Amino acid sequence: MLIINCPYCGPRDQSEFSNGGEAHVKRPDGSKEIGDREWGEYVFIRANPKGLFYERWVHTHGCRKWFNCVRDTSTDEILVTYKLDEKKPNLNNFKSVVKTPSGEPEVGSGNFTVEK
Amino acid sequence: MKSINLKENQFIQFHQKISFKFDGVKYFGYKGDTIASALLRNNISIVGRSFKYHRPRGIYTCGIEEPNALVQIISEYSEPNTRATIKKIYEGMEIESQNRWPSLENDFGSINNLFSPIFTAGFYYKTFMGPHKKFWKNLYEPLIRRAAGLGKPPKDFKGISNHIHHNVDITIIGGGLNGLLAAKSFINSNYDVLLIDFEEQLGGIINNSNKISSIDNKEPKDWLKETIQEIEDSKNIKILKNTLVTTYNYINHLIAIEDRFVGSKPIEGKVNSTLHKIRTGHTILCNGHIERFLSFQNNDLPGIMLSSSFEKYMCRYGLAPSKEPVIFSNNSNSNSLVYSLIKAGLKPKAYIDSRSGEEIEPNLFDLIRKNDVPLYTNSQIKGAFGNKKIEKILVEDSSGALNEIKCDCLCLSGGINPDVHLFTQSKGLLDWDEKDLTYKPSKPFQPTITLGSASGQFNFDNLNSDINEKLKTFKVKKLDVKLELNTNAKYNIEKLWEVSPQKKSLWAKSFIDLQNDVTTKDIRQAITEGFDRIEHLKRYTTNSMGTDQGKISSINALGIVSDLLDKKVNEVGTTIYRPPYAPLSFSAIAGRNCYEFYDPERKSPIHNWHLKNGAIFEDVGQWKRPWYFQINKDESMHDAVQRESKNVRENAGILDGSTLGKIEIKGEDALEFMNLIYTNSFTKMKQGSARYALMLGEDGMVKDDGIICKISDQHFIATTTTGGAATVLGCMEEYAQTEWPNLKVFMNSITEQYATFNISGPKTREIMKKAFPNINFSNEEFPFMTFQFHEFNGVPIRILRASFTGELGYEIYIPSNSAPKIWDNIQSFGKEFGLAPYGTEAMHLLRAEKGYIIVGQDTDGSITPIDLGLSWMIGKSKKDFLGKRSLTRSDTIREDRKQLVGIIPSNKADKLEEGQHIILDKEIKSPVPMLGHITSCYYSSTLGHDFALAVIKNGHSMIGTKAYASTSSMSTTGVDIVKPVFYDADNKRLVS
Repeated sequence: MLIINCPYCGPRDQSEFSNGGEAHVKRPDGSKEIGDREWGEYVFIRANPKGLFYERWVHTHGCRKWFNCVRDTSTDEILVTYKLDEKKPNLNNFKSVVKTPSGEPEVGSGNFTVEK
Repeated sequence: MKSINLKENQFIQFHQKISFKFDGVKYFGYKGDTIASALLRNNISIVGRSFKYHRPRGIYTCGIEEPNALVQIISEYSEPNTRATIKKIYEGMEIESQNRWPSLENDFGSINNLFSPIFTAGFYYKTFMGPHKKFWKNLYEPLIRRAAGLGKPPKDFKGISNHIHHNVDITIIGGGLNGLLAAKSFINSNYDVLLIDFEEQLGGIINNSNKISSIDNKEPKDWLKETIQEIEDSKNIKILKNTLVTTYNYINHLIAIEDRFVGSKPIEGKVNSTLHKIRTGHTILCNGHIERFLSFQNNDLPGIMLSSSFEKYMCRYGLAPSKEPVIFSNNSNSNSLVYSLIKAGLKPKAYIDSRSGEEIEPNLFDLIRKNDVPLYTNSQIKGAFGNKKIEKILVEDSSGALNEIKCDCLCLSGGINPDVHLFTQSKGLLDWDEKDLTYKPSKPFQPTITLGSASGQFNFDNLNSDINEKLKTFKVKKLDVKLELNTNAKYNIEKLWEVSPQKKSLWAKSFIDLQNDVTTKDIRQAITEGFDRIEHLKRYTTNSMGTDQGKISSINALGIVSDLLDKKVNEVGTTIYRPPYAPLSFSAIAGRNCYEFYDPERKSPIHNWHLKNGAIFEDVGQWKRPWYFQINKDESMHDAVQRESKNVRENAGILDGSTLGKIEIKGEDALEFMNLIYTNSFTKMKQGSARYALMLGEDGMVKDDGIICKISDQHFIATTTTGGAATVLGCMEEYAQTEWPNLKVFMNSITEQYATFNISGPKTREIMKKAFPNINFSNEEFPFMTFQFHEFNGVPIRILRASFTGELGYEIYIPSNSAPKIWDNIQSFGKEFGLAPYGTEAMHLLRAEKGYIIVGQDTDGSITPIDLGLSWMIGKSKKDFLGKRSLTRSDTIREDRKQLVGIIPSNKADKLEEGQHIILDKEIKSPVPMLGHITSCYYSSTLGHDFALAVIKNGHSMIGTKAYASTSSMSTTGVDIVKPVFYDADNKRLVS
């Protein structure tokens, strides 16, 4: 269970939040001509990386505000949360723990118990 | 095994006798005894039969690591698999042994032991793959599978448990020497500290052994008392006793279970356990170590126990399980047992050590010499023998000669392991220590600190410096504790995992997992068959898969495997330790979220009236809605629904629609927002008018529908489906915040603030006139799809002229508190016009006759408004709305999409069934191309026959043709495909 730092309420239990998938996916402007492919990608295609990931969350059982965060999907660690109108942080500012060839973090993936 | 009580003991009250029953026989123990210590006191050596071979088993340990002594507590709802070594006895307790029939002494299942050569690793996998299906039903399932097992399921009972949340800076797990010292450092500091111990008394090793002779020049007992007092007096430290930490999750989230009825019978209706959910800044693990056993022939015989457990029985329970045990060890940890025995005036029958004379600690040597204990160095036990209990052992001494020693008890020590379960649960990594031959915590993943033997510090010489170093990040005072020991301080061990038996035999068994009856031979076989990865091997042999998770044996298995594969133990690795550390009951996990609190029930303000008037309820989401009303107990559902629907068509009916979702939308840009959320255009809509509207997902599929009332361009009220209310509000909020933050708009749920009554039928106008005499209900003053605000007896109400039945209808919105009274009023005014309540089933029937869809029944997330024939609802001139672009994707403009049509049986007497397929051929010959399926199906007494709505491929252009519907009896019914409207197609009644 994660502790998530809601930018409006402060640190709260994960059970109060809902995940909203990838962040910073721009909705194409409906008033302009949009191709099938561009629209289809907006509706159906999302990134699913192992490692650092911009993600949307909503404080469902709290202030009901949406916000963004950077989460390391390989360890589940939430590195930073920020409001929707804030600039997205540069991923190079964070240390990704994914190091091994298979993409497993050295420690914290839960797939190993013994130091390699 | 003949046990004796030792004179004084601070934990056992020898003056307080307690009677209990084991397998129907009455015995006595003392206050403070566990089931195990009480049984040992009564010289009972067999306490259960083993999992697979039904071998007699005794008490092996003195704690949570116990693999054998699992019992059924008859006096507590027949709770199975209770560890006898933990559970305290109380007056009148009833206990039964497990997995035996007809009795523990003479168990029929022990015949399995004879057949044991075939029940080797992978037996189930291989056997149950057998060719004959009949075998499964007649042999495998009833006989073979049932023969294996532990206890029987408990009786039905209503357990109560509480959940308590903690938010602390530091959690110390384990109140032994290191845990107490750590807690002592935090006394009166600025940190919130939680100290958790599994036992009733803090102290750990100080209580359980004679290892320590003095602390700070005081008797350990006295030091313990003073220290506990100091910790208890400190305002920033909270102590949880009888509490076991079972789980160490991400972000320092711990779960611990507290037993509220230690040493007494749980009282029904009282909270019997508490689940603690702990959030902590740092976790300090001081949960100590676990002794491991050794494998040799018949190492499971009753009378064999771990040496530190024997010592714990002496120190903690004032009981020596035997007067003269033989001790077999490969390490220095069993030194203190020799010391304890001699201190108590007892003497080991023999001391056998696999180490050479030079390696054995000098002071142990002196002790053994001085007391004339027979000593075998460089020696190993080849096997233990006896009928249902240990009678003799075979020792191979340093010269290779075999010695037979008669004995009634054998104490084993194969070395000690830090209790790393919680550390690995926290995702920390372990490292193999070649000198101490065990896995020790190495790299923590979370802010986890390990102290004492839990960190692999088996010696006490660095006690102060280790704690001071590891706690230096905190602002605490430095420790300086003076410790003196009775036995040698340096931990020393020689590698020994198993001793091979003297004679090769198919029946000779050296166990590696006592609870699951896994032998060292099974491990060899698994490796031969290619299961040489530790995770595969575990599953193939079931090694360490019991409820004890192989606490005393899993490291031994790794040692054996690494020798067999000629690999380093670190290369072999361990299997992953998963929570919980020890079994915890589902009732504790559920806490109060069970029975009536499992899922909240939502009730409309009129619920009590429904109850009194014969309503049969249907669950819609969390709501209880009247499904239909019975006028008497004999009325069937079909009769009731037909009666109710007919009454709506002929007179008038009233439906409690309070459960419909209601959302109020306000703000400067409310109009623009509504135009973006719904397919319809609200721009040209007049104030005070209403519109049926659709909401789509971005994929263009219908997600919800409802009626939108426009109070002004800045103020709307939307209704949603009963089940969709939360999702629709969530969706509006999401888009308002994430996509259109520039729009000034706010929305709020008003579902529970207003009750809704839907009145419809030809006589509705008369009833409304009577009920609300001040309002003009004429067609001119109050046209279809308009609404008006009124005050009625001081209550503000909103009346909307709309209908879901196809008849003249009004919806009345009333503040919930005033609703029951107005409902009663309308009932009494309506009587003379034949007004009767109707339920959701009649509503479904009536709307289907009109071809009105229900989102979620006639649509399934793959249906667009065009598929439903509702293109007129799409505001085509609007630049954008949710899902607009998707309506022109290549997939959504396909011609062969499934489209909504009506279905009637060609022969009017035929029946239709919901969910059945529509097909083209009368004969069912596979493969059958399926056109689609029936989504709603009813019998209508108005029409006099069955009718249905269906979604079928290219449906709109098939209207007027014939097809077939499959039936549940594998035949077909001829059907006509028609327009999806069966009654009053030109809406005359609606606008009358």
